[in-house]
Amino acid sequence: MPREAPTLADILADARVWKLSLSSRDASAGQPLSSPRPVWSTGRSALDARLPGGGWPTASLIEVLLEAPGLGEVQLFLPALVQSQKVEGETPWLVWIAPPYEPFAPALAQHGIDLERLLVVRPVTATEALWAAEQALSSGACAAVLLWLKGADDRWLRRLKLAAEAGGALGVLFRPERHRFESSPAALRVLLARGDEGPHLEIIKVQGGRPGPVWNVI
Amino acid sequence: MKPRALKSATADLFAAAAPPSRRAATPPAAAASPPPPPEQSTARSRSRHLWYAVVFPALGEPQSAPLSLERLCLHAQRFTPWVSIEPPNALLLEIRGSVKLFGSLAALGADIDAVWSGLKLRAQSSTAPSTLAALWLARAGQKAVLEDPGSLAGCLAKLSVACTSWDPGRLHTLRTMGVNRIGELMRLPRAGIARRLGADALLDLDIALMRQAAPRRAFAARERFHERCDFEMEVETVAYLQTALGPLIERCARFLRERQAGVEALELKLDHRTQPITRIRLGLASVTGDPRRLADVSMHKLARLELAAPVRSLELKSGPLRPLSTDSFDVFACLGGAGGRDTAPQLVERLRARLGEQAVYGICPVPEHRPEVAWQRVQSLSAKGTMRVGRQTPPPRIDVQGMPRPIWLLNEPARLRAPDVERLRQSRSLLEGPERIESGWWDGKDVTRDYYIVRQSGGTRLWIFQERRSRRWFVHGVFA
Repeated sequence: MPREAPTLADILADARVWKLSLSSRDASAGQPLSSPRPVWSTGRSALDARLPGGGWPTASLIEVLLEAPGLGEVQLFLPALVQSQKVEGETPWLVWIAPPYEPFAPALAQHGIDLERLLVVRPVTATEALWAAEQALSSGACAAVLLWLKGADDRWLRRLKLAAEAGGALGVLFRPERHRFESSPAALRVLLARGDEGPHLEIIKVQGGRPGPVWNVI
Repeated sequence: MKPRALKSATADLFAAAAPPSRRAATPPAAAASPPPPPEQSTARSRSRHLWYAVVFPALGEPQSAPLSLERLCLHAQRFTPWVSIEPPNALLLEIRGSVKLFGSLAALGADIDAVWSGLKLRAQSSTAPSTLAALWLARAGQKAVLEDPGSLAGCLAKLSVACTSWDPGRLHTLRTMGVNRIGELMRLPRAGIARRLGADALLDLDIALMRQAAPRRAFAARERFHERCDFEMEVETVAYLQTALGPLIERCARFLRERQAGVEALELKLDHRTQPITRIRLGLASVTGDPRRLADVSMHKLARLELAAPVRSLELKSGPLRPLSTDSFDVFACLGGAGGRDTAPQLVERLRARLGEQAVYGICPVPEHRPEVAWQRVQSLSAKGTMRVGRQTPPPRIDVQGMPRPIWLLNEPARLRAPDVERLRQSRSLLEGPERIESGWWDGKDVTRDYYIVRQSGGTRLWIFQERRSRRWFVHGVFA
């Protein structure tokens, strides 16, 4: 294989060769995108309406700021995770890095997640977690990468964003709410706060959309 | 030696297929039919095989030496490529092809016997044109060397029937029939033997007397890749080690490719002058022989290494070889690799190489009512590249009815203090429940709990339970 590889690559790189049934991802390797990246519906029409494209964008970093764990933050993404695992011809792996508690397998199975393609990573330090996330996002083997962090500097977040853009996966970063006023390279920033009537969701930053609170989604 | 080896390989193929089918296809009545004409079969087999059988009486005993038959096979393979194991304590060597190389039959026999005495093993050996005849003669303790098939029947006739090591029941039957020697057995009518002792006994007798061909499977030694690289000067930097390891990995990958095999793990040994040897296990997420994956894992593992002392030499050893799964290769996969795309096993390997084997795992549900044992970690990846659940292939069916389960499960249920319980009770925050879980009395970890879903004042949803015996409250999960 290693010896033949460059020749085949050369042939396919030739502009005169027509490539018929390659997925859009392979065909567009190294070239500007011809079709927009897919978005995954959030499963909530009120929220979909506020997001450009009508769902969670892939190939970019989404940052979720949490006032406390347990506000339904994972459930916001579950419909997208389930959908992303069902795409034909893709590598639908989910990677959860440094979740705050143990992911409970029966619950995820109840929601329809294919647990055979779920990977839990437990790094010791924050740097290791960020490295693991960068590897997973850029590998191209994952449909979604979820990362829980206490804090991270701007440089690392930028690296994550680049990795997500290269790999095309849905990249979600959960951070405590105290990072709200720091600058972030994430394309979409969402705040989940406690409220008297239940959790409260607010879009802080969205590229190509309008920030503001979203009611009745959780 | 070469053509012989080839021939033995073809015979080996037949050995895999022929004998069971013959045994299955031959009903006792057919076995009782007259044997094939002996002249024809002897004429054919005289030129073909000569079997040297050796029996190690000490190996059958429970307190036997640690030398196994496989190990002895490796010694025997110096003399012939065709060595066959006869459990529990005998080996069969085909030596017709080696006679010319070693001078004479007597010299060859003496050379082989010298090996056993060199190992301080008590051995009884015999040589005969058929496998079972050689074996029976060896068991009888006769140091016979028979080359002529014509004298076979005469020699075997004197042996006791116990030499056949048939099962005790059959030997008892023979004793009660008054048959003590094989010669007496040979005189009995074939139909009677087949009826009273079974068709197997007749088949054994035919094999011993060369009326029936009995191909044998040659022993193939297990192979490992093992290579070392000595440094002229002691190496103190990991970067140099990585450079030195590159060619070793490449050769290992070539070794695997030639055998259409893969490995699950490699072992790297670093030899220091003063310190004990450093051993590094390079675990792979699935069986592979791909040089890129092997190199990737070893480089990441080495990059994390802190050298205890300068290194004198480097040794790379493969684990047991495993056959590669016969998945088809994607012709465009090489493009993906060039573009920086990995497969899932590659990602798992890279993460494990840096974070440790235990830090990367999958999860799977277990059909159990108790939440803490209703899931388990999965470490291994199957050939398809999915996380594998032990042996069972169909994933356990999950009961989707009942109360929803929380996404997060606490490692240990956290105790709820009395004021918290009181506040939850007063604010009427109960969303669902109770669900009673009462299980596990059989393994000492029995639980009797009532589970509820409650909403805290801020909006956090919790999965709490009351232990029915102690009436205490605990948090067990969080609905994230």
